[in-house]
Amino acid sequence: MRVNYVFQFCSLWRTRATESGPMASSSTAEQKCAVVESTEEYKYVERLIPPTKIPTPPLHDGPAPSGWRPPSAVTPDLPYMVRRSRLHNVPVYTDLTHGNRKTTLLRKIEGDIWALENDVKEYLVQLTGKIPLTQVNEVTMSIRIKGHFDKELKEWLLEKGF
Amino acid sequence: MSASKTTGGKAIDILRNLPRISLANLRPNPGARKTERRRGRGAHGGNKSGRGHKGERQRGNRPRLGFEGGQTPFYLAIPKYGYNEGHSLRPQYQPLSLRRLQYLIDLGRVDTSQPIDLTQLVNGRGVTVQPLKRDYGVHLVEEGADIFSAKINIEVQRATEGAVAAIERNGGVITTGFYDFRSLTILCKPVPFFLSGQPIPKRMLPGEDMVRYYTGAENRGYLSDPEEVERARQELAQKYGYVLPDISKDELFHMLSIRKDCRQIFFGLAPGWVVNMAERKILKPTDEKLLRYYGS
Repeated sequence: MRVNYVFQFCSLWRTRATESGPMASSSTAEQKCAVVESTEEYKYVERLIPPTKIPTPPLHDGPAPSGWRPPSAVTPDLPYMVRRSRLHNVPVYTDLTHGNRKTTLLRKIEGDIWALENDVKEYLVQLTGKIPLTQVNEVTMSIRIKGHFDKELKEWLLEKGF
Repeated sequence: MSASKTTGGKAIDILRNLPRISLANLRPNPGARKTERRRGRGAHGGNKSGRGHKGERQRGNRPRLGFEGGQTPFYLAIPKYGYNEGHSLRPQYQPLSLRRLQYLIDLGRVDTSQPIDLTQLVNGRGVTVQPLKRDYGVHLVEEGADIFSAKINIEVQRATEGAVAAIERNGGVITTGFYDFRSLTILCKPVPFFLSGQPIPKRMLPGEDMVRYYTGAENRGYLSDPEEVERARQELAQKYGYVLPDISKDELFHMLSIRKDCRQIFFGLAPGWVVNMAERKILKPTDEKLLRYYGS
């Protein structure tokens, strides 16, 4: 049936192009190909188009139900700054290589990275009682810490207001 | 060139003088490669060449792995059983937890003021559905049910009982719906389909094995009886011990009562319509045959 529809459409196109064709067949084809154009329902299509930008999170009073918190409005008075990731999360990630080499990566650092490393060390000494092994990368401005401390460091950075 | 005294300075001096690394001077690190041991060459030939006395070891014709010297090996002694039979053909559902859904809502990536379906979840980058990898949609799971606090009208492909309870406790509505391969592909990526200029197809009905799930009111199936669904909602509220909010008095009642037809792929768009994205309009067929074909 669909083939028939396409055929009718093609025949209509041909008759229009040449302006010479049997009137009877063209009128039936016109009836079959007649469409109603509508712009009203286009709003349903607009909703289906994927966004090209990450939306800015809406305002919440207090932490959101999922536990997400925006960075504090006032920049913390510290020699370093940690920005949020593109998806508005705290940039702390875990890594597991060679099956058992657990590391935590702290990204998006600005300012005095060595001061932040000192503070991270102090906090982790309090937490675990051991001096953690850390690696500072000044080129990518990131700190790698041995062991998985993502939850602790995220909470710690949130409390600082980052 | 004045040679620097410090180690760092020396390193910088070396870097300045050495040629740039290129394919012409790249080579493995010293000690990274080890030459293969060749038995019985040069002065080490003669009697046994370090391979021991006779047998499979000397001749290097060890039998296959698992061979037990002629006795029926263990791996053949146990009968086969089809636990994983047809694993490459089984439908898969990507899990979506209520915790993640709440996170997407909190960050404004999913809009709760409109009905949520798979397109909204994919567009919010909440799930990745690959129909070519036998994905049939998403499975809403109850992890994070205790923190879930949004009122939504959601359509998923599968849902656990706890997830259904968590959504209905907040005054929301959930439906499970089936999408065939083509419909699912279109639902996940609508724009390339609209640009192709084809009419929106009608959604196929589920196969025999899935009919029981999608006609079940306890699963909130899209083919189930609405009255039975209402009864199942009450029963679930009693089971989980919450008071079911009255939706009909809600200010969002209109949004919450929107459902897709069993042949419809998108909210608000009927099968058979052609979307013209360049001119921002929709073409609807009027031919009776076409309308009969696309009607449910």
